Amino acid sequence: MVQTGQITFYTHTRSVYCHRVHIALEEANAAYTLHSVNLKERPAWYAKVNPAGKIPAITYGGPKAPPEDPAPEAIKINESLIILEFLADLFPEAKLLPSDPVLRAQARLFMNTVDQHLFEGFKRFLFNYTEGAEKALLDGFEALQMRLPPAGFAVGEWSIADAAAAPFLVRIELLLKHDLGTFPEGEGPKVLQVLQGPKFARVMKYLEDCKTRSSVKALVTLL
Amino acid sequence: MAEHKRITLYAAVDSPFVHRVRLALEEAKATYDIIWIDLLNKPEWYQEKVNPTGKIPVLVYGGPKLHADEEPSPEAERLTESLVILEFLVDIFPEARLLPTDPVSRARARLFYETVETVTLQPFFRFIFLDAPAETVLSALETLQAMLPPSGFVVGDWSIADAAFVAILIRLEVYLKNGLGAYRPEVGKEALEAFESPRFARLRTYLEDNKARPSMAKAFEEDAVKTKMQQRVERFRKTGIVNGFFRLPLPSTE
Repeated sequence: MVQTGQITFYTHTRSVYCHRVHIALEEANAAYTLHSVNLKERPAWYAKVNPAGKIPAITYGGPKAPPEDPAPEAIKINESLIILEFLADLFPEAKLLPSDPVLRAQARLFMNTVDQHLFEGFKRFLFNYTEGAEKALLDGFEALQMRLPPAGFAVGEWSIADAAAAPFLVRIELLLKHDLGTFPEGEGPKVLQVLQGPKFARVMKYLEDCKTRSSVKALVTLL
Repeated sequence: MAEHKRITLYAAVDSPFVHRVRLALEEAKATYDIIWIDLLNKPEWYQEKVNPTGKIPVLVYGGPKLHADEEPSPEAERLTESLVILEFLVDIFPEARLLPTDPVSRARARLFYETVETVTLQPFFRFIFLDAPAETVLSALETLQAMLPPSGFVVGDWSIADAAFVAILIRLEVYLKNGLGAYRPEVGKEALEAFESPRFARLRTYLEDNKARPSMAKAFEEDAVKTKMQQRVERFRKTGIVNGFFRLPLPSTE
């Protein structure tokens, strides 16, 4: 299907949620206008895109309009996972989701695991450290690992499930490596070492596989 | 219609999450088996054999006919999360159009059901059990009401977005009309009055439109829901247990 409407993508280089959308847009070979939103001083006009002020957001369709003045006819979509599903629907030939219903459900459960388990662990260990938070992070990795097939991506072939997971995994690895977070000093590399052990071999292989994808590679420098 | 594998749904009459799935199954005119789980008396086999988290619904796709206390076949697919199951039903019953086919309408439907999740669930739960002000639920309902078109369903035709919302909405109405919940009677009355006021005219029409569909008659047993809720509230008053995952310390006697 030929892309029939304009896409404007409101983003910020440091947002992992925005990275998800970047990856999917690249995988879809979409034509889009990128607009960087200043998160510290959100412009008043941004409420026209998303009244809650959050990113990522996209507008789709409607007449050509500057990013600061989106057309009323354009649909505004926020929530990274909803945007990913939208792109999968809009670009069926890009196969951003498999066509098999069971695999599609597995992809969605994978994304659910990223947002529930992995993100919970991420938040607790990296941002709100309390004693024992390491376990929450490692449990998140384990929950994700349990959903992976023996080889390949989340549902075998690349899909939006990987676009959802990769930015988080890459970010977590980087923060642990550089010991950046609210956890006690030295804990970052320690936890990374645990992750590099045999118990987490499958999920760490998955992370490496994600990093070789060109749509992800392009972003790694931004992280 | 394409051949489908066997569908088995682990269900409970009082769960809105199960209700969502049953509505979609009925709209798709699907053939399916139900294995009933009593949430107030959950059998151990459920956690051991079906879902280690103990949550419902679980939809099993494929495998032989199942009975209580049996483990689904390893070849069968076990799906959890009501919204994931709804999307799965969209995919396996394309002719039922449980979502529209155009990407923009689908995105609207998803934005709606995500909003249901993020703005209504917590306030609903807290109002019913934890003395949260009714206004927290009412303003959530107002947000969703504002997203409805002037008439009809969320994206015009009925879709899984309606299933996701109406399962919660109909329960709120039933609970308020019957004073079911741990809130004080006067709080419940006030909330019911607000729900029945002009503020929610559009929402009530929307609820009636949903109730008029045959799928609702098949998937909602009002008396059983009331009975179970009554039992749940009584249990809460005696033990502080809300559900398998949430328990409050009992208040000291006044």
